[in-house]
Amino acid sequence: MDFSLNEEQAKLQKEAREFLEKECPESFVREMEDGDKGFSPELWNKMAEMGWLGLVYPEKYNGKGGSFADLSVVYEEMGRAMLPSPHLSTVVLCGLTILEAGTKEQKADLLSKIVAGDLILSLALTEPESSFDGKAWEAEGVNVRATPDGDDYIIDGTKLFVHDAHIADYLLCVTKTRDSANPEDDITLFLVDASDPGVSCEILETTAGDKQSEVNFNKIRVAKENIVGELHKGWPPLEKVMQKGAVLLCSEMVGAGQRVLEITVDYAKTRIQFDMPIGINQYIQDHCAFLLSEVDAARWLTGQAVWKISEGQPCDMEAAMAKAWTSDSHERACWRGHQVLAGVGYTVDKGVLPLYSRRAKTKQLYLGDSAYHLEKAARQIEKWPGPEKFRGKAVGLWDIPKEEQIPYWEPWKKRWEEKEGKK
Amino acid sequence: MEFGFTEEQEKLRKDVRDFFMNEMPEDFEPGVETMFSLTKEQTEFWMTFQKKTGEKGYLTPGWSEETGGLGLGPIEQGIVEEEWGRTGGRWPNFSGLHIAGPAVQVFGTEEQKKKFLPGIAKGEAVWNQAFTEPEAGSDEANQQLRAVEDGDNYVLNGQKTFITTYVKPDYLYTLARTADTEPKHRGISLFLVPGDAPGVSYRALGSMGFGTQVDIFYDNVKVPKENLLGELNRGFYHAMSAFEFERSGTGGPASAKRSLEEFVEFCKETMRNGKPLMEDPEVRRSVAQMAIDIEVQRLIAWHAVWWFSEREKLGPKPYDLSGFFTKIFSTQHPETMMNIMGLYGQLRTGSKWAKFAGKVERRWQIARSVHPAGTLEVNKIVLAGRGLGLPRVPAKFNKQIAKALGEKK
Repeated sequence: MDFSLNEEQAKLQKEAREFLEKECPESFVREMEDGDKGFSPELWNKMAEMGWLGLVYPEKYNGKGGSFADLSVVYEEMGRAMLPSPHLSTVVLCGLTILEAGTKEQKADLLSKIVAGDLILSLALTEPESSFDGKAWEAEGVNVRATPDGDDYIIDGTKLFVHDAHIADYLLCVTKTRDSANPEDDITLFLVDASDPGVSCEILETTAGDKQSEVNFNKIRVAKENIVGELHKGWPPLEKVMQKGAVLLCSEMVGAGQRVLEITVDYAKTRIQFDMPIGINQYIQDHCAFLLSEVDAARWLTGQAVWKISEGQPCDMEAAMAKAWTSDSHERACWRGHQVLAGVGYTVDKGVLPLYSRRAKTKQLYLGDSAYHLEKAARQIEKWPGPEKFRGKAVGLWDIPKEEQIPYWEPWKKRWEEKEGKK
Repeated sequence: MEFGFTEEQEKLRKDVRDFFMNEMPEDFEPGVETMFSLTKEQTEFWMTFQKKTGEKGYLTPGWSEETGGLGLGPIEQGIVEEEWGRTGGRWPNFSGLHIAGPAVQVFGTEEQKKKFLPGIAKGEAVWNQAFTEPEAGSDEANQQLRAVEDGDNYVLNGQKTFITTYVKPDYLYTLARTADTEPKHRGISLFLVPGDAPGVSYRALGSMGFGTQVDIFYDNVKVPKENLLGELNRGFYHAMSAFEFERSGTGGPASAKRSLEEFVEFCKETMRNGKPLMEDPEVRRSVAQMAIDIEVQRLIAWHAVWWFSEREKLGPKPYDLSGFFTKIFSTQHPETMMNIMGLYGQLRTGSKWAKFAGKVERRWQIARSVHPAGTLEVNKIVLAGRGLGLPRVPAKFNKQIAKALGEKK
């Protein structure tokens, strides 16, 4: 048991915080939100120099060979700074899938480019109808087909809520390539060149003002060399990586939540009304105490999931618990902040809280909301063995008829006699 | 971060679990047992069980060997506590183990340690914390029970109330006023009062769920000076810092987890509309949410244990959320379960129609008592004040405010 960061991670955290305070101030976050790109290639290159793009990749791809826990430290700081970047899409959701499932050539070619910051990828998984049916993150929800045609495949259909598609060089398109009994055995991953004229992309207006897109694949032709990994076997590696992505989102939310807590408490201490700081009022204290509890609980649940992943242990339950709790908890934390900051938290030009609470919505929904992850947890809970049985000799002391339950100790006996005596 | 245990710790866990599983009678139903009106046989059973556990050193594994412990660390103590929590049993001497024992460890003289600690460690003695008074609930410093110096003794007069106890206590870990000071908490001292001292009397207080509370009256009770714990007039500080040394709270979440496991079994086996309850989406979601809540409690509890094990490096813990979460979840969970059971949720243990042995109903009643160790609201004020540094009205103005309010009437 150890709830602290190790020395290296503490150093990494300090570096990341200093870097982001300098490179990603609030003004930059606003600028990116209002711009078309939603990210800055210069900053992306600086992140590559920091080694953030290859943090968890093996050294043979020029990565740092770091652990998943290191990555989570960086993500916590990214959440704190609200860094707008395609890191999750490129490095984690697509990059780790390639690392997990890709061929030797694909890994050699693509991963070192990602590490160098020369390649941006985006995961095209979710679809209009299945997202509404609650199957967005399941194999069952993949209906965009890739139909074989000679040595190539033809992909036709629409993907929705695709993060960072507008700036991606390649899209990792999740397609259905056959109809077997189990949808998880029918999924194939294709790398699609985003500059293909048959691929069109339209940015969606979202709560967070982040750049999610509708991507249309209009009967495009993709060579079979572009299959990542093997035909029909795309789902298991992707699922594994999405779990990691969900936990990293939790890390982001923990970092953001910590900042919301600081902003809120600071305001409660410094805002004077009725000649006193408003933090003296117990309603305000209630909000702050709850906010603290939300952030702390999320931190340790996430920490546990991160640790399990780092150790390579199965973590279906831990990851589901972390994402289910943190999604809603971060939303609640921001709401508490709004109650305390009131008008100041509603003003968009000066207030920083709206930036956090709008981003909370994206993270809450992305890679599965709490309902989805509660279901995942429920599936694990069903496998629980019943509690172990006691093995001691039966003593027959528990099912005593009421009239024989005479208390031993005097004050209780007296009370019992008074009550029973009336009967 | 590291959320696992060493091999040695895992071995300890297995040993402790085996011990408890082998000793606990197979017909014991946690949550159904009639703890609140302990019969002679039940009292003897629990005392014997406590002594057996004490012989193994599992009551106080964190204490040094000369005081009857195993000389293990806080983490190991947390493990033992967790395993005990899983069985769902209760120590007659829970106050001694959690509160009075650690306080004697830290503030007692050598003689006091020799005299009192072995009894606690071996499971022979039963202690009770006697703090709460009719006028000193949330405001613990408002102690009215008087202790007046008289030669070699102190003479105690007054009353305690809402004192939870299962059996007759051997010692009362008593707060009493020894000086009229401003602020109030600087005139309070701690006394170790024998439970059968002349002048001590008890009155049973029925209460919901577990009717295990009593009033305690002190009528000219003579307490020898060697039974003063720590410094005179510093009792309030001692008591508060002894709470820091409270044994880990890992037992509670472990107990809740076992209850939930039982409830999951019940949901798998019980049919509604021709399908197991567990296949109802509403039920699944509720159960999963409860499992996550308990996991939060577990991690928060372990965080406190870990902090305590590193306290030399980290200093005192600025805030602790264990109580906060426990109070919230132990209220919500029985309510959730009851809602799942509908009309049947209200049936008590013993009713032939009761589902799930009436456990939920019992827990629901017990959940009305989440106020011990401070109500949720007091907890929030402490979290906000001590944890987050939010301002509060300085106590010296309280009387003025009260006066101003009085004038308004």
